[in-house]
Amino acid sequence: MIFNKKYNTIFLDIDSPVMEIDEKINIILSPSLYWVKKLTLLVKYVRDVKKLLPSIFEDYLPKGNYNYSAYKNEKVGADDSDFFVFAYEDQKIIQLLAQKNISMNNVASIRFAQSEIYDFENAYKIDENKSICIKDEIVVLLPSNLLQDRQELDLQSLSLSKHKITLQQFSHIVDTKSIFKIASVLIIFIFLILSEYFITSQKTKDITKLKDELFIQNNLKSTMFQNKAMLKKYRTLNKKQIKIRKYTAQILSIKLQKDEKLSLLVVKDKLLSAKFSGVKKGHDNFIETKLKSVLNKNVKMKKTYKNEILRLEISL
Amino acid sequence: MNQINPIYLGLFLVVVLFLSVFKLDSQRISLNEERQNLKVTQKLVNELVALKDVYANKIKIKKELQRILNNPVLKASEIVKFFTNSSVKINSKSMDFNALNKLMGKILNASYNITSLKIKRLSDTKVSLSMVIKW
Repeated sequence: MIFNKKYNTIFLDIDSPVMEIDEKINIILSPSLYWVKKLTLLVKYVRDVKKLLPSIFEDYLPKGNYNYSAYKNEKVGADDSDFFVFAYEDQKIIQLLAQKNISMNNVASIRFAQSEIYDFENAYKIDENKSICIKDEIVVLLPSNLLQDRQELDLQSLSLSKHKITLQQFSHIVDTKSIFKIASVLIIFIFLILSEYFITSQKTKDITKLKDELFIQNNLKSTMFQNKAMLKKYRTLNKKQIKIRKYTAQILSIKLQKDEKLSLLVVKDKLLSAKFSGVKKGHDNFIETKLKSVLNKNVKMKKTYKNEILRLEISL
Repeated sequence: MNQINPIYLGLFLVVVLFLSVFKLDSQRISLNEERQNLKVTQKLVNELVALKDVYANKIKIKKELQRILNNPVLKASEIVKFFTNSSVKINSKSMDFNALNKLMGKILNASYNITSLKIKRLSDTKVSLSMVIKW
């Protein structure tokens, strides 16, 4: 694997010495850090095997929080349904890395010794007391005194496999399945809310468009401001016209005495004027009072009386 | 090989969820405001269209006034009418009360924009009239 060549590789065992590492490294896990089985299963794909792993290891493992891994036996002559399956404790390995002064930041990859050293023929020395060798295709760790002709293991010349594992650093807090479940629920909620947001946003845009179209359809000005100004103008005009009709009707409804006559009625600008002739002194007040009583209290009215002529000016 | 703490991931998703809820809430408020605005606009448009139809429908107003002024009752009053693009001036030097009642009854009972009006009693039966209606 060309990408792994740039990093050094170390063998991690419980009895490995504390290290001084300030660069990225590949780690090969000692057989003492995982459980392995070689199995023939009636399934074709690794993903199907992974589902079975907890039950496969159920009766063999001591109590703990395990993670599982599997890959096909790639040795020449192996059957398509032969698999190597693994169980390991993430937290135990993470704690061991910390004990050996290896930061997770410096870990480029982690692999099982089984996947990297499976085709070695000799026994290899790990340290003074331990060695590894292959027994029935399984990499095993044995006391050195049980083995003869041990060779030095040159890890840097190893061509590493693609069978990497990823340690679940937080599996002791929440297990992966729960994380996925909670995250999935949250993501679904976010998705639903955002969908609702976009629908609402679209509705808002549609209403804004509809509002603009209302002006165009009715041949009105293009802005609300212009139309409000126009409405104000027409309301004022309408009010004035209503007043003209109302006040004229009220002036005409006043009962005049025999010689009294309405001789002039003028509407100009904001004034309605009425001129009564032949009004006897004293009766001018009667006409004024009569008109005031039928008009609104807020209506401004101006009266002038001279030579039996009464002039009334009403503001429109 | 450092991994993101799932608690951070959870917190991040919760924050995104809250932000989404907040955005949705703001958008709903905007939608309600737009709905209210639309109601106000519709009301304004209806009122404005109605008022324009009454006071600014040039063809309709002209047609109605022509019909009123051509009434046979007003013939004797010798009414002079002068139509411009935006108004009509109506003058009569002498008309009887009956004709005045007929004319003013028709005009005052409809919605015309009377900008100027002058009715002067000439005798016990006659008046002079001067009026301007705009549109």
